[in-house]
Amino acid sequence: MMKALGPLSRRRFLTASASLGIGTIAAPYVARADDPTLRITGWGGKWGEVMKAEIGPAFESEFKCKLQTDSAFPYLPKLQASSRSAPIYDVLHTNSNEQWAAAEMGLVEPKIDPKLVPNLADVYPYAISDKIVGVSIFTSAIGLGMRTDKGYSGVTSWKELWDAKYNGVRGGYVIPVNSLGQAFLMMCGTLFGKGQTDLDAAYTALEKLKPIKIVDFTGAMEKMLLSGEVGMCVIHDSGIYRYDGQNQPTDFVSPSEGVLSLEQVLTITPGSKMKELANAYVNYMLRPEVQKRLAETVWYSPANKKVKLDAKYDAKLLTTPEKVSKLIQVDWKWYNERKDEIDQRVNRIFRA
Amino acid sequence: MQTTASSSLSAAQQTASVRMPGPARHYGRALYLTINIAILVFLLAPIAIVVVFALNPTPFIQFPPVGVSLRWFEKFFASRDFMHALWFSLEVAVLTTASATILGASAALALARGNLPGTRLIVATMLSPLMLPAILTGLALFQTYVLLDVGRPTWGLVAGHTLVTLPYVVRTTLAVLHNFDTRLEEAAQNLGASPLRTFFELTLPLIKPGVLAGAIFAFIVSFDQFPVSLFLVSPGNETLPVTLFNYLKFDLDGTIGAASVVSIVLAFVVVIGLDRTVGLRSYVKL
Amino acid sequence: MSSTATTRPNGLALFILPSALLFGLFFFLPIGLMAVMSVLTGNPVVMPKVAFTTRHYARMIGDPYYLEVIWTTIRIGLVTTLVALAIGYPLAHWMARIKSRTGHALLLMAVLAPMLTGIVVRTFAWMTLLSDKGVINETLIALGLISQPLKLMYTETGIVVGLVHIYVPFMVLTLTGVIGRIDERLEQAAENLGASPLRAFIEVTLPLSLPGILAGSLLVFALAISAYVTPILLGGFQIMTLPILIYQQISANFNVGFAAALGIVLLMISLLLVIAYNRALRLVSGQRELQ
Repeated sequence: MMKALGPLSRRRFLTASASLGIGTIAAPYVARADDPTLRITGWGGKWGEVMKAEIGPAFESEFKCKLQTDSAFPYLPKLQASSRSAPIYDVLHTNSNEQWAAAEMGLVEPKIDPKLVPNLADVYPYAISDKIVGVSIFTSAIGLGMRTDKGYSGVTSWKELWDAKYNGVRGGYVIPVNSLGQAFLMMCGTLFGKGQTDLDAAYTALEKLKPIKIVDFTGAMEKMLLSGEVGMCVIHDSGIYRYDGQNQPTDFVSPSEGVLSLEQVLTITPGSKMKELANAYVNYMLRPEVQKRLAETVWYSPANKKVKLDAKYDAKLLTTPEKVSKLIQVDWKWYNERKDEIDQRVNRIFRA
Repeated sequence: MQTTASSSLSAAQQTASVRMPGPARHYGRALYLTINIAILVFLLAPIAIVVVFALNPTPFIQFPPVGVSLRWFEKFFASRDFMHALWFSLEVAVLTTASATILGASAALALARGNLPGTRLIVATMLSPLMLPAILTGLALFQTYVLLDVGRPTWGLVAGHTLVTLPYVVRTTLAVLHNFDTRLEEAAQNLGASPLRTFFELTLPLIKPGVLAGAIFAFIVSFDQFPVSLFLVSPGNETLPVTLFNYLKFDLDGTIGAASVVSIVLAFVVVIGLDRTVGLRSYVKL
Repeated sequence: MSSTATTRPNGLALFILPSALLFGLFFFLPIGLMAVMSVLTGNPVVMPKVAFTTRHYARMIGDPYYLEVIWTTIRIGLVTTLVALAIGYPLAHWMARIKSRTGHALLLMAVLAPMLTGIVVRTFAWMTLLSDKGVINETLIALGLISQPLKLMYTETGIVVGLVHIYVPFMVLTLTGVIGRIDERLEQAAENLGASPLRAFIEVTLPLSLPGILAGSLLVFALAISAYVTPILLGGFQIMTLPILIYQQISANFNVGFAAALGIVLLMISLLLVIAYNRALRLVSGQRELQ
């Protein structure tokens, strides 16, 4: 009986599996055709986790779309290489220095339209100041991070970092590739010279900072501080506070000369075909509930004035107009214009 | 005294059987083994560290380790990103190995037997993807895909991987072909076999170990490939090295150790499987 | 390898076509694009107006810093190759001569294991070993041999160690095939004609394995000078090599033209090497009548 059915069932099996196969391959295309896709960038780690688990799906269901996040840093070279009329991202999320570089290259729109993003009305002035392209949705304070179990006391100033007792446990960033390092360089100009733009003073100060262990990403700095490899370093408050509750012997110091601002900035690409959705996303990320959830997950200071954080977060983060007014924003446009020569000089200063 | 090579060899062999090993021989042998063991320790120490780290519960580099825990393995297997990356890497590696082996082996055949003009130049060209920093190759390919308006499809990634693994297959296959005793083929044809039959029944099986060695290289290199993948992966379709690298930026914990242990085990299964079925050993002796 | 210049291509030559197609589309086109971009002011694919310029290359020649970077790259490549050779040869010899099949399989696994770990994790493992609070320093301090940690990371030595670890398997696998093909009876004959094992090795085995040495060295050098993940993680950007500079230019300065120019320089260095290798190989093959 099987033999009689043999060729027929085999053919049917083949056609069935062929159509199943084609269906499987085609399915994603079919699904994508229905849901518009918004292509964004985003960090990994805890940010990525909460975005993927909660914020992302909530946005997708409310706006009936698919969110496609690229978390393979660096983003800008890829955006740069893609065509202006078909950019690979609709919304670019990165730090302020890169946003300025992108704006200079015409890759992102420098200003967000308040009519399309109404929540813009509720943000602190720093989020849309003239030192920002796009809008800053969060910020962190860049200051000093230290170990609390090594007997370091009386740390109140940036200049403490230069003290000889930290030789061998001092931590900093690779300035050419890291915005904290770049902001810190400009801070050196303010500390030891005439201001942010006093490069000569900054170079001299950096020379004196050696020996120093430099890393290219804040995650690495966090780990070095935790393992004791580094005892005093430049770091953002988020990098210390996010280990809250783990009893780590580390603490953040807001130096008396002021903290630098490390902004998380969103911009929209001019060639994006999803402008409406893109603006909706920017607006969504500025909603108080969304801001609260993200801020409390990764310890970022929210840009929206209306956000009410839980007590322990409120105490440490920058959540009042007075606190945010102390943030120092640096002139990225100026820095980016000189980046090549600064890098050449800095590479030479820090070579082994 | 005139002796032929073979008779002097047999004479030497006879003498060998009666010669007693002296103390110098022992020390020499001991030194040889010591050096090799030391080298093995050097090669395997970091692997041991990775395993230790994969089992150590603290979320950062710490030595000595504080305990044994499977939490990182749990985290690895529970992570959708990592699992997808693992499977995708395997998929790409298999596809890459297949295409690199077919293209590379046939190219080697053409180069060794095809009497092509400028063979040496062509060989050098085929090996040149190894010479260029892969980050440039990755960027250049990405740029080209943009130019051709194809986006970042999986076949594009496989093509990039094939490009950087093909040289290995060509190298190993050429090595085997160069040592091939063509008299065997002549003998077969003298016994009546057609050129085609000789090729399929004699040549191909004999060069198989060399081709396979190249295929194994291709698999390993593709599975581990990072710089080209960095530019050619698209969100949701990332290979394991890219995912690990990104993860490393934010979380320096044992999950990467767990990921690596799993990769090693997986790859070993592949290699041992191949060694059992085909016998890489024979490649050495050919 | 007799001259084939006088005979015409036969049917087998056609087998090169698929690879030629792959190379044409996925290698020459992209690299050609890069070469073109290295002499333009911007990216012609995305920018409307670009002009010819030699400023990227001029920048390299004008500043001794770049020559230093090139020299550092070559130096690290050479040291890595020599150390990989010194380490890889004994292991390759053992692997080629070992009699037991299990032993060979175990050795093969041991040699392949570093390659299978994955570049990111492997380098990270070296960081675990070499950093100030890493395994080596902590152990030495615990044993009382040193009081302050040794500076092993962020040095050229650290980078070489990491690179050697990655590339020794390539060297071993290249050498082991060549050594395996050397007839052991030749060594035995030499010994029984009066030479010590060492002398037999130096005067018989080593010369016969020269093509393998050259091939392995070429491969390791080419890979070492184009590496950037390991040098970045172990050198912390304090040691600047060409690939790291290229990475920096692409990812942080968005200067694709300059990066392309640097890449072309690196490619030229490698090509010069291949030519040198071919010359050396011809010399070596010419001298050897045995085989």
